[in-house]
Amino acid sequence: MGAATQPASSSGKGLGHRLRRRVADWARRRQGEDRLPVPVSTRRIYILPTRGGYAFAALLFVMLIAGLNYGNSVALLITFLLGGFALIAMHLCHRNLAGTVVRSVATVDGFAGEHGRLSITLENTADTPRIGLECACEAARVSLSVPVGATARAELPVELEKRGRVRIERIRLSCAFPFGLFRAWTWLHLPLSLLAWPPPRGQREPPPEAAIGGSATSIHRAGDEEWAGLREFRDGDSPRQVAWGAYARGRGLLVKTYQSPAAHQRTFDFASVPGSDVEQRLEQLAAWIVAAHARGERYGLKIGGQEVAPASGSEHRARCLNGLALYGSGEPW
Amino acid sequence: MNPARRAPIAAALVFGAALLLSVRSAPAWCLAIALASVVWRVLIATGRVSVPRRRPGTRFLLGAVTAVMVVAVAASFRTLNGLAAGTALLVVMGALKLLESRSRRDDAIVIGVALFLLLAAGLGAQGLWRVPLYLVTLWGACAAIALVAHDVPQFTTRAALTLAARALLMAVPLAALCFAFFPRVAGQFWALEAGAGASTGLSDEMSPGSIGKLATEYEPAFRARFEGALPPRAALYWRGPVLDSFDGFTWRRENFPQYDAERPEMVGEPVRYRITLEPTDQPWLFALDTVAASPRRDVYLNRDSMLIAPNPIVTTTSYDAVSHLRTRSAAPLSAGGRSYETRLPPDRNPRARALALEMRARASSDAQYAQAMLDWFRDNGLEYTLEPGTTSIDSVDTTLFDSKRGFCGHFASAYATLMRAAGIPARIVTGYLGGEWNPVGGYLLVRQSEAHAWTEVWLQGRGWVRIDPTAVVAPERLQRGVFDLLPDSLPATSVAFHRSTLLNRLRQLWDGADQWWQEHVVEFNLRAQLHLLEKLGIDSPEWQHLGWAFAAGLLVWISWVALTLRRSVARGRPDRITRAWLRATRKLERVAPARQAHEGPIDFARRVGALRPELAERVAALAARYARLRFGPGAKAAEIASFERDVKLLAV
Repeated sequence: MGAATQPASSSGKGLGHRLRRRVADWARRRQGEDRLPVPVSTRRIYILPTRGGYAFAALLFVMLIAGLNYGNSVALLITFLLGGFALIAMHLCHRNLAGTVVRSVATVDGFAGEHGRLSITLENTADTPRIGLECACEAARVSLSVPVGATARAELPVELEKRGRVRIERIRLSCAFPFGLFRAWTWLHLPLSLLAWPPPRGQREPPPEAAIGGSATSIHRAGDEEWAGLREFRDGDSPRQVAWGAYARGRGLLVKTYQSPAAHQRTFDFASVPGSDVEQRLEQLAAWIVAAHARGERYGLKIGGQEVAPASGSEHRARCLNGLALYGSGEPW
Repeated sequence: MNPARRAPIAAALVFGAALLLSVRSAPAWCLAIALASVVWRVLIATGRVSVPRRRPGTRFLLGAVTAVMVVAVAASFRTLNGLAAGTALLVVMGALKLLESRSRRDDAIVIGVALFLLLAAGLGAQGLWRVPLYLVTLWGACAAIALVAHDVPQFTTRAALTLAARALLMAVPLAALCFAFFPRVAGQFWALEAGAGASTGLSDEMSPGSIGKLATEYEPAFRARFEGALPPRAALYWRGPVLDSFDGFTWRRENFPQYDAERPEMVGEPVRYRITLEPTDQPWLFALDTVAASPRRDVYLNRDSMLIAPNPIVTTTSYDAVSHLRTRSAAPLSAGGRSYETRLPPDRNPRARALALEMRARASSDAQYAQAMLDWFRDNGLEYTLEPGTTSIDSVDTTLFDSKRGFCGHFASAYATLMRAAGIPARIVTGYLGGEWNPVGGYLLVRQSEAHAWTEVWLQGRGWVRIDPTAVVAPERLQRGVFDLLPDSLPATSVAFHRSTLLNRLRQLWDGADQWWQEHVVEFNLRAQLHLLEKLGIDSPEWQHLGWAFAAGLLVWISWVALTLRRSVARGRPDRITRAWLRATRKLERVAPARQAHEGPIDFARRVGALRPELAERVAALAARYARLRFGPGAKAAEIASFERDVKLLAV
């Protein structure tokens, strides 16, 4: 029973769905895969009237007919002014999106049946604020505004249906600013995926424990964690966690990490979990890992011929859960 | 202000502004209901009144109220068709939408209704002074559209107003272009209802005092622009309806000719001019006495030298005319004409008839009698006044013998009666006398207060001769207007307004601007469009040329807009550091699997290094430099340049 890679796509059928599918494929072929950071160039922006925009167009048409019929210059001037206004509105909408830089997209994995997260950082290098940008992925959408010369982050929930790797096919970045008559959007085709961990379920007692030391590290300092050293900077790390002292001494860009104290240790072995249903066994393992982590214990994992040495900390927990999520997929982890 | 509250308030205020523009056209009760709902909506949005709970019956109630309102509008106009009824209906519907509005969509609909009301106001009144009102409402509506679409606090009301103003200003060239070249339609798809508004002006009847009523009206009747020099003021008789049926009190015009007559022969130099006539709701056009030919194919020049249009004039209308100040008619008046133009009610005005018979007996000819009668008018102490008092049913007798007071209409009526009583054909001509020269616009402005009535008498060998008895009673009237002659009988404020030099100057300036607006904008039509193309150098332009000119202009405008708004996009390109790093990434991906979205530069470099150990050191250094330049404080230009150089040198 394998956990195949699944696209996070809404399950819609029918003509509308097929048409959207083809348009999406066309856009992907046209633009190709993206690499971060993605500057939203004008060539990849699409724009169409919104429903309000179509209503406005209908209003203008009626006004035009009335003005022409009565040969009324003032009515025609009002109509033409509004028509020009609508066209300018289109340009303003386009401009509000064009040139936005998608600085980074971080993923946060989660348990199947719950939500993972996409954390999208946008940067505004233009001289006007960008207001009402909307990040959307499938059904989830989030609005944000980016002030001049600043960055802003959108946290987008991703529904995780089944255990395994969930591919994010595309993210839509759009805006209807300022008049809501047009919506400009662009598709981001980033090599993004989330892991859906098996949900922690199961009532069995965990295997007995033994005691040794370990070294799980994290850059987030929780209450009882101890200083664990420096590691190299990665995209997505907050500048606040950078060891600027070390940087000043010319040691490059490093990030401080922390480690939680060691107490107990045990190893969870997939083979030793009873039962015939693979998913249920994985869920049991997940439950043990979650519980052990919550108690601050040290634990290891043996699954599918791979072994994670006992350790603690949230990175370790994630590594173990990743192993569960990818079990049976043949993917290395 | 709470951004979520701005949208309903903005929509309500824009609707309120549109209501103010409809004050003249919509009935008071509609406006009152609508204004009340605007106030109510604003109070709710500001939290001063709590929203009433929605009960199951609310929808039904609103539906019932809507039905009642529609019926009420239909009842008060007897139709739902037409501009006035349509406006009233829009006002009522907008008010009800405002009452039940809950969502952004409702607010957007209210703004749409306001825009329709604005259009209706524009269809109804095109005066220059209303244009700023229209523009302000338009601006507010555009800003409200933005506020309804976005309720984030980062988007301030001021920003919305600025953006709307900017968008509208940038739209002005396009509006001008469309206005000049968007092909107009000649004729209407459906007709404008007649009698759009009650107009003041001359009618085709004249009773004692009816002209005097007009004298207090300061509104313009028409404007005349002369091609050559302005004719002498005493010759500025603007001919209107000719009245030839008298019942002893009221003069009327017969709609159908009662006898055949030839048109007079024109004498002397022609006077060419263009008249811009304000709506009169009447079919006739005014022209300088006497007009030589019809100015337009559809205008009929009748035997009385009146110009008659096929339909009542309901919009401002311009026409070119040619007149001669003198005419001659050698042909005799037919017997039918003579008897028709000497008809008098037999039992009215006995004293005047007696006077006429007595004086005619003493005169040697008709012409001498006419002159003697003018002398009688001058010497008998008649007083020119706007307040002649009431007249009896024998109005001519009252004027001549009892009150001895009258306005031009009284004297003209009396003189014509005296002529007819002596068997001389005579009739009344109504129109205007004089006008005010506007040096700013270079035209003559003729106001309703210049309304005048005079007589025409048929003299053998000369034809119809204009005789103005007012000119002998009050000779100054030929040189000055009523506002200068009889200030005591007129409203004090109007007179003060008229007399102030500064105000006069401003008034003339304004009227000049208004006239320009009327001539060049309001009356701009297909003919003017083609004329404009001719000026631009296109020979015998046609409809299609307009399309080409329009398309060309549109292209220029769109390019201009795109360039103007693009500038700040250019600044939104990724900076040099990022561009250089992307170049490096693309090179490295030739040897390693693509960089993952979540993969930082250092991790990526390490992966590349693992696959190609000979590159490891250089790539790691490059990645570290990128991270430092990108995320570290203040990168120097020299560092960036050296980074770019090293990326260029990177070979895989």
